[in-house]
Amino acid sequence: MKALQSLNFLKDRVLILVVLGFHSLVALLAPYLQLPATDSQDSAALLQGPSRSHWLGTDFLGRDVFSRLLHGGRPSLVIAFSATAIACAIGVFIGSLAALAGGWIDDALSRVVDLMLALPTLILLLLIASFFGQDPLVLSVALGLMYAAPIARVARSATQTLLARDFVRVARLQGGSRISILFGEVLPNVWRLMFTEVAMQFTWILLAFSSLSFLGLGASPPTPEWGLMVAESRSYMTLNPLLVLAPIVMLASLVLAIQALVDHE
Amino acid sequence: MTLDPVLTQSHFLVFNNVTVRIRNEPSDTRPVLEAIDLQLEHGETLGVVGSSGSGKSTLLRLAAGELAPGLVLDQGGVTTVGTNLLVATQAERTSIYGGEVALVAQSIGESLTPHLTVKGHFRDTVSGEVVDDQVLESLAEVGLGGKKYLHRYPHQLSGGERQRVLLALAIVRSPRLLLLDEPTSALDVSIGSEVLTTIQRLQRARGFALICVSHDLGVVSQISKRIAVMNQGRIVELGQTSRVLRSPAHQYTKALVGSIPRHDQRVRGSRLQSNEKILVCRELSIVRGETTRAIDSLDLAVTRGEVLGIIGESGSGKSSLLSAICGLVPVRSGTIHDGDGYDLSTASQARPREVLASIQMVFQNPDDSLNPMRTVAESLSRYTRATNTEMSSALLSVGLGEQFLSRRPREMSGGEKQRAAIARALLTKPRLLLLDEVTSALDVIVQAAVLRTLAEIQHKLNIAMIIVSHDIAIIASFVDRILVLRNGQVVEHGSVADVINSPRDDYTKKLIQISAQRSSV
Amino acid sequence: MKSLVRQILFSLTTFVALAIISFLGIDALPGDGCTALLGRFGSDANIEACRQKNNLNDPVVVRLRDWSSDLLRGDLGYSIKRDEEVARIIAPRIRNTAVMGFVAALMAFPSAIIVGLLLGRYPHTFISKVVNQFSVIAMTLPEFVTATVLWLVLSLWIPVFPGVSVMPSNASLLQLLPNVWLPALTLAVVIFAHSMRTMRTSVANVLNMPFVQSARLRGTSERAMIMRHIVPAALPPVVNVVALDGAWLLTGTFVTEAVFNYQGVGRLAVDAISDRDTALILPIILFGLAVYLASSLLADSLVRVLDPRLRSSDR
Repeated sequence: MKALQSLNFLKDRVLILVVLGFHSLVALLAPYLQLPATDSQDSAALLQGPSRSHWLGTDFLGRDVFSRLLHGGRPSLVIAFSATAIACAIGVFIGSLAALAGGWIDDALSRVVDLMLALPTLILLLLIASFFGQDPLVLSVALGLMYAAPIARVARSATQTLLARDFVRVARLQGGSRISILFGEVLPNVWRLMFTEVAMQFTWILLAFSSLSFLGLGASPPTPEWGLMVAESRSYMTLNPLLVLAPIVMLASLVLAIQALVDHE
Repeated sequence: MTLDPVLTQSHFLVFNNVTVRIRNEPSDTRPVLEAIDLQLEHGETLGVVGSSGSGKSTLLRLAAGELAPGLVLDQGGVTTVGTNLLVATQAERTSIYGGEVALVAQSIGESLTPHLTVKGHFRDTVSGEVVDDQVLESLAEVGLGGKKYLHRYPHQLSGGERQRVLLALAIVRSPRLLLLDEPTSALDVSIGSEVLTTIQRLQRARGFALICVSHDLGVVSQISKRIAVMNQGRIVELGQTSRVLRSPAHQYTKALVGSIPRHDQRVRGSRLQSNEKILVCRELSIVRGETTRAIDSLDLAVTRGEVLGIIGESGSGKSSLLSAICGLVPVRSGTIHDGDGYDLSTASQARPREVLASIQMVFQNPDDSLNPMRTVAESLSRYTRATNTEMSSALLSVGLGEQFLSRRPREMSGGEKQRAAIARALLTKPRLLLLDEVTSALDVIVQAAVLRTLAEIQHKLNIAMIIVSHDIAIIASFVDRILVLRNGQVVEHGSVADVINSPRDDYTKKLIQISAQRSSV
Repeated sequence: MKSLVRQILFSLTTFVALAIISFLGIDALPGDGCTALLGRFGSDANIEACRQKNNLNDPVVVRLRDWSSDLLRGDLGYSIKRDEEVARIIAPRIRNTAVMGFVAALMAFPSAIIVGLLLGRYPHTFISKVVNQFSVIAMTLPEFVTATVLWLVLSLWIPVFPGVSVMPSNASLLQLLPNVWLPALTLAVVIFAHSMRTMRTSVANVLNMPFVQSARLRGTSERAMIMRHIVPAALPPVVNVVALDGAWLLTGTFVTEAVFNYQGVGRLAVDAISDRDTALILPIILFGLAVYLASSLLADSLVRVLDPRLRSSDR
């Protein structure tokens, strides 16, 4: 019955899965396809429309748009995955620990999480990006730390709900240690409750990085990155609209697909 | 199915060969309602009894002209006060509801709008000038006299008061047909009994026709002259209440009537007591939250192999007491020791393994006791480290076959899950088993079966038990000694015979009286 | 009442704590106002002279103390780089962002609540599915995408509104207005979906609650059902979202402002960060904090009004 439900779930989302599959393949395989180098400039062929040698044309520095497009998701995806992993690890751990421990530990941790939620994250991100260079590691860690707070909050309430359940009380009565209960009863069930939240955070982080790149504080030229490509090509819209529209379509389709996948309506 | 003699022609409500199915299901699956034929006349009272899944709620809704979106009327028709409500327009319905027909839904959770005062609720249907008088009259009739109730919010009312407000709302426009869905299942027995008396009084005074749906035969028999017994979508028996209860014709009805616990009918033989104490509480006090005294200076002793029954309604402190014995909840003052002198005020995580193993508990909600992601085998063995053989024999002792080892909770019924929970508790070979309302969430027939199983286990293993229930009949038919708990204090205490035959406390007397009323016809 | 006071106190202490942390954090960043002014080309001697003049060599605690006492007097400080009082730089920007935010809020919130109510109440219509799709798209597109697309459509291809604005930050309100529409519309699109979906989900949840069915079976008219029973019960989560997004409208709009070169607080923040003008960055952060905390307080109070169960004055 459950298997049937999962199949139905997937069946309704065929289009979404196709889009996600496409993006995954592109992101993983881009460097292995025989594409023109993303930073090779052909000064003789600036701002060309689609042609046989340049399927989507060239940009203002003569670089091949198609190649840059296919490579353009990788920087943000790498950062989004690492940051989300960090955010989850920290967030779920803190949130569930707070709920399990209760008492002053819970109070203290909750205060810290509330403080972090009050911080204007994007400004801080701009600051960090600006002052510490645009090192992907620094950005991943910073993003991970910032987005750990909302995850911690959801993890805490999910854990509290779980702790009230009788099977957890039974585990305590039968001699389960706190750690054993945490990993055995709480965390596996918490993950199921949190899957949607984590997926949403993943997309927010992805968008945050693209926006940073757009503002010039994320990926730095000549890296191909969708947000950066939009920013760079804005002035040349009228000459080759693909320069702006193509990265927008790629970014939008990826984010929409992920959110639609976990959307319960 | 036996039908009583033909009724007069003034049929108030008619179900004509009604079959209801789940939308889009193939035609060989069991329908929700099958071939329902029912007539109700003016001023008549009818009770509909059945377990969950019997279709009784669907039937009630249909009488009100409501069909859930996932259901479809396959055959037949329903006529209520002369109209087919299923095809009525929105306007027709709005004028009929509350006016001609009123339905009081099951009041689990919030049946009253949380942000409206009591008076505010009446304003939907009673307009303008006459409001206050009419409303006050309605409220007084249901036992909520005085102006103070007008401005209260639902969360400021007790469960019984909320149910009465719902009744007042239903009768304020003098309907000719009142439909009640589980009117007392969310209430304590004593409160529920009072509400039922009020309903009886209202019906006699105003003369409306009444259909009352409940899983509880006692509730239904109190206020209806005729009873319909439902099982799996069909009406299996229909007739005068007294006749059906005294001499049921259908097999299902027989099983149903036979399963109802009676305080004067033993399910388990009494035992000779040993003198070895395994639990002693002295002046035990437990506090919930900041200040609420859940248990107040309680004295208690349990001997080996003895079954102690604790009767208490909500707020009596019974669950806090059991939780404290297990070490799940801290003790404020007083002492609590086990048979070896170990101080049981220690929290569960600090107790040594042997102590933990010697006291185990089974909880009320079958859906909550087993980790939904685990098989029975995993749930049973994870902390007890029991072997397959041990688990199989434990399951067998609770009446479950070996195949249940690989089942998951979602594949099991409520009764099966409770049995698995009991098996799990037995795996540590406890001296004392705590049972917190373990059958309250089960259907009456399943409940009787589980109680029989518990009796067998108790006899075979000579295990001491503390059974908590709000139902004095269950307690009296099973245990050796009774303790009546009210507001954290013991108000009655003694052997079953003593307490039931010569109760000293008024509260106990009332509970016994209500139970007697329900089992007499 | 008591818990409201407690909450205000808590917000104040949070603000103070975060303000101090921000000060120390910004201070720890490489560079200061003098390096911002003189850049890499300033000689060490000049930078040192500048620091002496501006007391930047004082120990951290002293500067913190001076800064906080200035703040309490209403003096937001002085930007060395721009050679101007911070207050005079920030004030018109805040006004501009506030105007834009206000227009965006007017466009987005009322319509979002009404649409959410309708979609929640009548979920199975074709329109419902269509609007749902559009709102999902609007909500998940990154802000710069929405801004760019709107700019393309409504400014470049079909010249309805001016695109990039070229007026100074302290232009009059009248001069400001034509430049407000496009950024405000962008922001409205970005936040519309969030409140709309929250309202829709909330209405759907409320419809499942027993008291709604109770009311219907008492013969309550549809209109009374919606206005008296459903809406007040459904609003609390929406209030929280409106407060959150409302705060964002004042503090998080730099991408939109960047696209349209709108002279608001967001644009200022990005410029200040690029310039490393620390004296300016700190007050902007504090502004963001204050707005967030104030809107949380407001939201909690409103929710308390809507739900009598949260008023602790009884029992």
